[in-house]
Formats: sequence, structure tokens, C-alpha cells
Amino acid sequence: MVCDKKDRSENKPSVSTKRTVESLEVEEPKPTDDELNVNGLIDESDSDDEDEDEDEFQSAEEGIVSSKFQDLDESVADGGSDSDADSDAEFNKLLAVDEGDEAELEYDSTDFSDDTSSLRDKLSGFKSKTILTDDSNVIETKFSDGKPRIIKPEINPVYDSDDTDGEAQNTIGNIPLSAYDEMPHIGYDINGKRIMRPAKGSALDALLDSIELPEGWTGLLDKNSGASLNLTDEELKFIAKIQNNEQTDDSINPYEPLVDWFTRHEEIMPVTAIPEPKRRFIPSTSEAKRIMKIVKAIREGRIIPPKKLKEMREKEDAENHNYDLWENSETTNDHIMNLRAPKLPPPTNEESYNPPEEYLLTPEEREEWEKLDPSERERSFIPQKFGSLRKVPGYTESVRERFERSLDLYLAPRVRKNKLNIDPESLIPELPSPKDLRPFPIRCSTVYQGHTGKIRALSIDPNGLWLATGSDDGTVRIWEILTGREVYKVTIIDISENKEDHIDAIEWNPEKSIGLLAVAAAENIYLIVPPIFGFEIENNSRLKVENGFGFDTFGNTKKANLNVNSDDEEDDSAGDSKTSAVNKQVAQWNKATQKQIENDIAIVITCRKIVKKLSWHRKGDYFVTVQPESGHTSVLIHQLSKHLTQSPFKKSKGIIMDTKFHPFKPQLFVCSQRYVRIYDLSQQVLVKKLLPGARWLSTIDIHPRGDNLIASSFDKRVLWHDLDLSSTPYKTLRYHEKAVRSVAFHKKLPLFCSAADDGTIHVFHATVYDDMMKNPLLVPLKKLTGHQLVNSLGVLNTVWHPREAWLFSSGADNTARLWTT
Amino acid sequence: MRVKKKNSSGNARNFITRSQAVRKLQISLADFRRLCIFKGIYPREPRNKKKANKGSTAPTTFYYYKDIQYLLHEPVLAKFREHKTFAKKLTRALGRGEVSSAKKLEENKTSYKLDHIIRERYPSFPDALRDIDDALNMLFLFANLPATDQVSSRVTKDAQKICNQWLAFVARERLLRKVFVSIKGVYYQANVRGEEIRWLVPFKFPENIPSDVDFRIMLTFLEFYCTLTHFVLFKLYTDNGIVYPPRLDMKKDKIIGCLSAYILESSEGAPIDGPKSNTVETQEVKTLDKRTLRSAMKADTNDNTEEQETDQAENVDDAKLDAFEDKNKNQGDLLEQPSQYNSPTATLFSGMIFYVSREVPIDILEFLILSCGGTVVSEAAMDQLDSVEDFDLSRVTHQIVDRPVLKNKVANRTYIQPQWVFDSINKGEFVPANLYMPGESLPPHLSPWGDAVGYDPTTEDAVEGEEEEEKTLDEDSEENEVEEEADDDSEDDEDLKAQKELELEAQGINYSKAKEENSLGEGTKVKVKKRKSEEEEEKDLKLIMMSNKQRKLYKKMKYSNEKKDEKIENLKKKKKQIAKTKSKLERLEQ
Repeated sequence: MVCDKKDRSENKPSVSTKRTVESLEVEEPKPTDDELNVNGLIDESDSDDEDEDEDEFQSAEEGIVSSKFQDLDESVADGGSDSDADSDAEFNKLLAVDEGDEAELEYDSTDFSDDTSSLRDKLSGFKSKTILTDDSNVIETKFSDGKPRIIKPEINPVYDSDDTDGEAQNTIGNIPLSAYDEMPHIGYDINGKRIMRPAKGSALDALLDSIELPEGWTGLLDKNSGASLNLTDEELKFIAKIQNNEQTDDSINPYEPLVDWFTRHEEIMPVTAIPEPKRRFIPSTSEAKRIMKIVKAIREGRIIPPKKLKEMREKEDAENHNYDLWENSETTNDHIMNLRAPKLPPPTNEESYNPPEEYLLTPEEREEWEKLDPSERERSFIPQKFGSLRKVPGYTESVRERFERSLDLYLAPRVRKNKLNIDPESLIPELPSPKDLRPFPIRCSTVYQGHTGKIRALSIDPNGLWLATGSDDGTVRIWEILTGREVYKVTIIDISENKEDHIDAIEWNPEKSIGLLAVAAAENIYLIVPPIFGFEIENNSRLKVENGFGFDTFGNTKKANLNVNSDDEEDDSAGDSKTSAVNKQVAQWNKATQKQIENDIAIVITCRKIVKKLSWHRKGDYFVTVQPESGHTSVLIHQLSKHLTQSPFKKSKGIIMDTKFHPFKPQLFVCSQRYVRIYDLSQQVLVKKLLPGARWLSTIDIHPRGDNLIASSFDKRVLWHDLDLSSTPYKTLRYHEKAVRSVAFHKKLPLFCSAADDGTIHVFHATVYDDMMKNPLLVPLKKLTGHQLVNSLGVLNTVWHPREAWLFSSGADNTARLWTT
Repeated sequence: MRVKKKNSSGNARNFITRSQAVRKLQISLADFRRLCIFKGIYPREPRNKKKANKGSTAPTTFYYYKDIQYLLHEPVLAKFREHKTFAKKLTRALGRGEVSSAKKLEENKTSYKLDHIIRERYPSFPDALRDIDDALNMLFLFANLPATDQVSSRVTKDAQKICNQWLAFVARERLLRKVFVSIKGVYYQANVRGEEIRWLVPFKFPENIPSDVDFRIMLTFLEFYCTLTHFVLFKLYTDNGIVYPPRLDMKKDKIIGCLSAYILESSEGAPIDGPKSNTVETQEVKTLDKRTLRSAMKADTNDNTEEQETDQAENVDDAKLDAFEDKNKNQGDLLEQPSQYNSPTATLFSGMIFYVSREVPIDILEFLILSCGGTVVSEAAMDQLDSVEDFDLSRVTHQIVDRPVLKNKVANRTYIQPQWVFDSINKGEFVPANLYMPGESLPPHLSPWGDAVGYDPTTEDAVEGEEEEEKTLDEDSEENEVEEEADDDSEDDEDLKAQKELELEAQGINYSKAKEENSLGEGTKVKVKKRKSEEEEEKDLKLIMMSNKQRKLYKKMKYSNEKKDEKIENLKKKKKQIAKTKSKLERLEQ
């Protein structure tokens, strides 16, 4: 029975809310009876179903309680429909209010309390009514149309089954209760009437509850009904038992006395009286047979016992080792990749137990040895001397030394290295002795003193008698070479006015019949006829210069056919004339002023930028100048006979450092910072471009036979180019310690020299053979020292005597020197 | 055109880094190391490291690709792998507590042989002899090491055995050529089949074992060297008609240790006279062994001392008697000897009997004397005997002593310090024994292989001009050093001059003439100097014409030569200084 009730109870979870109503009527005698009934029921259920849990108890109780309530309700219904209708109406009204309320504020506790209070009023009223109508049993009312209506009390059928018990009040079935959360009711009863939500603990209820805690009060809320959940003492005990993992059933005794089924005591007396068999007392024949079999096998050698086997094996191993491994071997040559480990070097005297005393270390050496890291030490031990053999102690490092050797053997990479066991002197090239290559300058014989600034330029006249020097003090002086007497002096630049200007280049006209000196000072080129040669030569010189005035174009430079366009020949012919017409005059040939004439200046050529280098053509009519700053017009070719200046290039070729004419061919050598270009002037093409490989070339000079060239560079190198060979140097010589300023070939003798900022001049012998297959022979002859260093500048310029093996040099120490044999 | 793949030829193909090699062989690094040691595979230095490393410049070790390829097929490698699985099985069995199965596994453990590797590495016997230096060095070191937890006693015992076999062979065949006692031990050099073999035997002192030495590597090497030396010894012994392995005379082994305990028998059966008198009949030896062993067992209880003594005395007498017979035989051989031994050192001590005092290390001297044809009687061995009187010591020619004072000198003997033996062997003839008397300060012991920088400490200063210069220099330095002895100095100078005069006279040059020469020399000196400077200048100029590479090489060579010269100069200077102070001390003593 009870089980059924429980099944149902899920369908009417709201019933318990009504129980609160019930609980309100605690003062009346009826409910006490009910409670008693309930208690009995619980006891019954206890005894019947042991495995029911707390919830079930709860629901069972609720079911019972609600059934009572239903009874009561029914009785109410019996009591009168009037009040019923009233209450319905009231409920509806309430519903509306509730709904409105709910829209605004959900479950206001005060609201609820109001509701419940009104409900209670109703109920109390209603109750009194039912009590009234109970007596008559038949209620006579009227229908709405006024007809009399008799409502007879409902027949209360008495069924044995619980189905009709009215327990299944809420008929919502499996629909979760939460679906009614927003409604005032929680379902419908069997008659389709709403089951109203029981009032939840209002403030007053709570107060009442707090004042007098009902029996079994837990403070918990029943999930299903929403009412507070009360538990009885038994229930609580039951729960406590479950919590403590105790038996809930009192009938089971966990400590039953042990019955020792399988005894541990051995019985002394035999269980049976059967006597011991004989076979227990005699050795087994079958076993004996088997053993004999094994023994036989061992004797016959079919089975070898493990100990013997081991011995045999060892013996075999030992014997296996004793044979000639190299019985029939033949010597084989080592493969080239097979490198034998080098043997350890033999011990030296130092290692002796009794070395000569000089091998012992002095205290300083010893200290030094100790200071060094063990890996850096030259030897791993300190030499020691012991008076006799008995005093020699053990060596502590033997194990480590052997260990390191083994590490070397398997870890160190091996390389085949050819040990050069030669005399270092044999590396020095075989060269002819300088003594056999005389004459060459050896010593300084004359010092030309007088200048007050460093001498940047010097030149020897073609007859080899007069040396002209141009210095930073603004003067040009001419010396008699052998005596060192100053014969002539002219001031070209007034250094008090133009401090920045220098005399950068000076060169005698190579024609022997005239004495004309070209001086490049700042932007101007002065052609001077010094009055030292006598009238005839001076007159010739002046005439030579003045003849050119007839050809003067007075500004309208005719385009010369000298233009060389090497790189781009397409736009050569077309663009040439136009561009040249547009071109401004590159240089101005001016007659000397009166003052200049007094200074023996024949003519002045004014260029646009500072002239740094000047070089005559061998015939003495042309000379070429270098103005490094003036872009594409940095190389200018001047013609003395026509007073004409031409710029051979249309495009800049970089910063030009030097230019020279070929000794006999119509070729021009142009030296830029990195390259030397050779142009053919007659065909106007680039013949060759040399790549010396230096960063910054300073000067070049061309061998008198025209097929070799030397270049000096500021990065300490002197480069010999064989023009017949490749464009890279035949020989790069690096012996100067500082920038090389000047190189020069002798015109007649196989000599050349180089001068550098380290104050030295190196003289070389250079034979160039007619045989094309033979390389030129270069022999260093002499290192000339004498010039002092001033502001880390040494020798600035050198020039050879035209015939003799004499060398002139000028330095930053304001002197020029003559070096003779 | 076909595009050539990168890193498929040349250095990139020929060399392989170590990690690549290990991965290729699929073994652990430790196994790889062992394999490399066994197979003699070593890292290489490629010409172009960057190319070999496929463009990377990280520092790595390279192996030759073909070497690694060649390792792939190595049977020992397979054995290593087997051993790995064995180790796994064993640990598993032990972990499960299955002792019997572990034992079974242990019994059936695989072992590898190195025979084929030795044959591969040294295809011919001379190849093996060429590389035996390192093997001997290692073996002699381990023979002297105590057995520790890292080095088992079996290993050291094996090493000892092989070492003694080697020494016995060298001594018997009289192959020893040079000996050098250094502070590290004794270096010996023997000529075996035309191959000069040099090895170092450390002094018999407890070795200092550094903690940071990896003995696994050393032991791997030792394993290989043991096998190699074993085969080499076998070949040497059998080729010379001696039974290998030689038997050990247990009794003698007990008494004095090493060499004389080895019995070298000819393969014909009859024992050959060894360098020492080891000619005891084999059977006798066997019985003796047993007896001595037994006696040794009983020695502690002191029960049978008498018996033992008599036994020993008899035996030793036998031995000694035999020895003398042998000597006679040798004398008979004397005529043959030049053909038999092609070195003067081999017969240097023939016919001589050395009595070695107990303070002298017998192992060194016994080996040396035996291998030079002498006979040894050691005091230490005599101590073991009771009846010394029976022993005939009258024929002893030399007694080797290393103590400052010696009493009870015997008339017929030459008393010498051990260094006399070393220096005589190195020189190939007897050095004057009076320099090596006991208690005498010894002349320096020089290495027979000379000096590292080519300095010869035995030469006197020959060039007189040099001497003069140095003299002035020395005077200067002296003045700086000792100002207090100023008057002494002047005396010194006079003395020196007088000395000089005397010396010159002895050389047959008139002193006055010499003086003139000197003065003339000073005049010419300037010229010489000038000439020298000119020559130097010329050389400097010639250097200009050298290529950069040549010039660098030249400078390097020059530098090293100069350093060598500097060292020699330094030594010379020190020598002079020492001589000076010595002479001064002597004078002060007078």
C-alpha cells in the first residue's frame, strides 16, 4: 500500500504546502489524531521496507497528510458551494493581482504574507461554514437564473485501493513542477480544479516557527512541496546510521562469535591406521637408472658439466690466442688517407734525474712556469736534480700523461703536414748583387738649401745643368746642380696674400735649344724664360712662346680633333661639335703683364681649377695638365705653338691623379684614383685599362721603352705593370712604410726609384729585355735615407738626371738633395 | 644541362661529423668511442671545414666518411649490440629476482675478439712493431698501478705478465740499446727487427691517481694493447724459437720478483740458457713450485721452517751453479758474438758479475745488466738465503751501491753507483768508474736522444773571440752583482789573465802574439761589422722581392730559429754563471 502511495506522490508535490495550513490548526484536537496515525504508519513502513530512504519517508508522510487534507477539502466542498464559489472568485481575483504583482516584483514576501493571511481568513470563515452546513447535509441554493438548487453531499465511496484515496491530487503528470513556477497554482486536481501554491514561509510563519519549533524540525525545505521538511527522531537516527556507515538493520549482529571451521591445530594421532609403504624406505630404482644414464653420458663426454665447460672454454680461448697472427702477411703500402699516430718525442736532457745544472730553472723562471696555465706550459714538469738514484721520488703525473696521450690518439684530428726543413735563407730569391749593377745613386752629395717651405716640385733641365724647384714659399729657384748654388729666384705666388696657393708642378721644356720652364701655381700655368742661358736661347724661347699669338682664337675655341671618346662611340661624332660649341673656354692664354714680364714670365695660362700636375710632350710643343677638381675637363692638353687648349674628355673619369704622354707613341696615360687608362690620341680610343689594385694611386711613370709602367699608391705600394701582359700588375712591391709619393724611371739607364712619406727613397735596377718571353728583372739596389720627416711628410718628389745615374729629390724639410754614385 | 647538386661531392661527401656517424651506426656514443679506439679511427681535419660542414662554420669533429662506412660491417659492432640486449635481459632477470636465469645468461654471455682488428690495423708484423711504443707505455703504467674499484686486479696482473714477458724477451735477445733515467721513470730503447722501440717504465712507487681521469678510455686502450702485445710477443718468441707463453719460476718470482723468474725454453724442448741462469729442468721446477707453494702456505705457522730452508738453499745453489755454467758457455760463445749481436751494447757486460745492493732498484739494473750480457747477484735475493757462506762471491767484479758511505769493502770489486751502468750503456763502452764511486757527486746524466733545442752541454766554449766578449759582459754583470767583493774582482781579473796566458801557451800560441792578434782584430772588427751590416742590408733589400707568402714563412722560420738560439744562449750563459760561482766557492774554500 505504502509503495503505491509513494509512486503517486511524485505527481502531487504541492500537497505539503497545504500541510502548513494544517499545521495552523494544531490547536484543534483533530490534527493530533492525524499525527498519531501518521506515526503508526511510519512504524509500519519501517518494519516493511528496509531499504527505503529518507525521501520516500517524506513523500509517504506527505501523501498521508495530503490525503487527510483532501478529506478535509471534500468535507469543505460538502459544506457549501457558496463559499466555494466565493473562494473561487476570490482566488481568481487574487490570481489577477498576483499576476500583476509578478509582472512587477517577483514573490514579494509581504504580498505573499497578505495573501496568505486573507486566505487564512477565508479558510477560517469557510471552516465555520462547513461546520454549520454539516448538520443539514443538504444545501439548498439557487442557480443563477434563480431556480432552486439542491446540492447534495457528495457520496464518499469507500474503496480499498489507494487509487481512489484522493491522493493523486495533482494531475500534471510528468510535467516538471518548474513549469508552474510563474503560476499561482501548482497543478490541477482530479476534478480539474487548480491546486493553489501553498503559501511559502511568510514572515509570520517564520516568526511562528521560530517561536515554537515543531517537533522534527530540520530547517530544510522539501524540494517537492516547498514546505519545510520535518523529520522524526527515528528518521534522524536512521540517517545518522547511514552517515556512520552502520548497519541500519538492528537485527544483524556484526560481531557474531567465530566458528573455527578449519582447525589450525595439527592432530597428533594419525587419522588413518594405514602403515608407511616400503618404497618410502628404499632408494628409487628409476631415479638410479636416470642418474646412471647421466653419469654414463658424462663419462662418455656427451654431457659436460658447466664448471668443466667453463674451464674448457677458457683454455680454448687461451689457445685461440696463441697463434701467429701474421703468418702469411705481405707488406702493404699505407693508403694515403691512413695517417699513423705520431710517436712521442724522445725525452731530453731536461727530464734527466741528474741534469747538467744549467737546465735547472732560476727562481724567476720557476715563478713564470707556475704562473702559466698547465695547457700553455712548454714542458709539463720542472727540471730537478737529484744527487743519486735513491733520492728520486715517484712521478705524480704519469697516469694523467698517459691519459692525455690516449685522448690525443683517438680524439685529436690528424692532418698530414709537410714540415719544411729548409734553411730560411734559401727562401730569399737569387738576385744579382747590387755591386754588379752599378752605377746607381748611393750617397747624398749636394743639398740645395734656401727654400723656406716644403718643396713640392722639382725639375732638371734637358741639358742636365740646372735644377728648378718650386716650393710652398711661393718661389721658384734654379740651382746649379753640382755646386748647389742658387742662380735664379722668382716669386710666383705672394704667400702673404694667397696662403692656400702652392706651386704644385714645375717642368722644363724638353727641347734642348730653348730654356722654358712651365710652372703650375694654383689655377695658373706660367711659362718662364729664366735669364740664365744667354741671349740666344732666351730669345728662342720667347719667340717660341710668342709665335702662338698668331693662332689665338680669342675665345672661339675651335673644336680640336683630339677629342677622345672611348667609352661611348655612338654619340661621338654627332654630339661633338655642338657640345664643344656650348663648352666654355677651358683655359685662357693671357699675355704677361708688365710686372710679370719683369719676372721673366712669358705667358700665363689660366685654368678654371687648381692645376696639380704638368707634363710635357717629348717634342716640347704640347703639355698636359691635371686639374682634379674640374670634372670632365680635369685633363687639358695645351699646345704651345697655337696657344690652344683642348679638353679631350666629355665625361669625368673620376678624380684624375696624373697624366703622362707615351715616350714615343701618340698615347696618353691617364691615372685616376684606381685605374690607369691608356688612350690613343690619333685614333681617339681607349687602348687599355690597367687595374693596379691599389686604393689610391699617386703618380705613374712610363718606362722609356714604353711597354712598362710603374705606379705608386698612397697605400704603401709600388706596382709594376707590363703593358704587354695582363691588366693586373706584374709585381706589387710593398716595402715602404708610408704612402708612396713619387716614382720615376731613369731616361737612359735601367733604374727607377720610389720615394715615400717615411723619408726614404728606394732605388731599383730594372732591366727590360727585348725578348718578349722574358720577364723584366727587378733588383732592389739601395735605400737612400737623409730627408727629415716634417709633419709626417718625407720625400715629396724625385727626378732623375737625364744622363747620369744621379737622383734629385725634394722633401718636406725645405731641401732638395742630389744623390750621386 | 644537368644542375649539379650541392654537397654531393668533395669535402662535403668525404667527411661526416661525429653525431652523424653515431646516428648512422645506431650505437651509443660510448660504444662509438670504444669502437673508434679499437679500430684506430680518428677525426680528420678537412681542407675546407666550411665545405665539409655543408656551409656551417660551427666547430665540429669530422670523420672520414669511408672510415665510418667501414665500421658498419665490423663484427665487434654486432657484438656490442648483442651485449646491449644481454644487459637488458640480465637487468630484467635480476629485477625479477630470477637468480638462476641470470646466472645462465651470465654464463652464455657473448664475448668479442680483437684478433681480426689487429690484423686489419697492422697488416704486417713491422706495422705492429712500429706502433707498439704506446702499447708498452700503457702496459707498464698499469703494471705499476694498484687494483682499485676502477681497475680490477686481473687487469693489472695481465699487464704485469705481459710486461715481464716483453722484458724477458728483450733481455734474452739483448736488444736493448739505450737507457735514460728521468724524473718520470726509466726510458728504454730497444731495437727489435730494425724498429727502434722506446718505452717508459715508471718508478716502483705508488701512483697518484687523479680523480678527473676517465679510466674507461684507458681500459679500452689497455684491452686493445694487451691483445696486440700478446700477438707481437707470440710472434717474437716463436720466431726466435722460444716457447710462448714462458713459464714462471714461482719460487724465484716470490723472492725477487720479475725477470729472472721467467723460464725461456726453446721450442725443441731443451731449455735454452736465458740471459740469466734460468736453466732449471722443467720437471724440477714443477716439483719446486709445489713445494714452495706448500711451504709458503705453512710459512705462517712456522712449523716446517727448517725443511723449507733446506729446500730453498738447495734450489738456489742449483740455480747459482747453473748460472756459472752458463757463464762459461757464454765465454765459449764469445767468438760468435759479433755475428750474433750486432751492437756493442749487447756484449758490453759479458763476463762481468754484478752484485747489486739492496738499496738499488733491482728491477731496473737486472734488466739492464742481463740485456748487456752480464750476470746479476742481488743482495735482496741473498737475504732470503741462510747459507750465504756457501755462495761463492769471489767472482763478483762490480758492486752497485747507492749509499753515501760504505764500510767493509771487498778488494777485488769495483764499487760504482747505478748511473755508471746507464752511462756505459748509452756510450757503448765503459765510462771511467772513478767518477761514479759511492758517495761521489755524479757527473750529469744526459739523454741519449740529445737536447730539444740542439744544445750540447758537454762542449766547452771553443771560440775565443766570443769568450772574450762574454768575459767583458760577465765582468759587467759581476760588478752589478757583487760590489762588496771589488778587490776580489781585480784579483779575479788578474787570475783570469794569467789563466788565459797559461791556456794559450798550452795551445802553443805565444801570448804576445795573441795580444797582437787581438788588437788587430779590433781594427778589423769595425770592418767586419760594416761588412756584416752591408750584407744584412742587401738581404733586407732582397726581401722586398719576395712574395708575401714567402716573406711570412721566412719570418716565421727566422723567429723560431732565433728562439732556439736564444734558448741555447740562455743555457750557455747559465752554465758560465754556474762555473764562475763554483770556481769562486772553491777559491774561498782554499
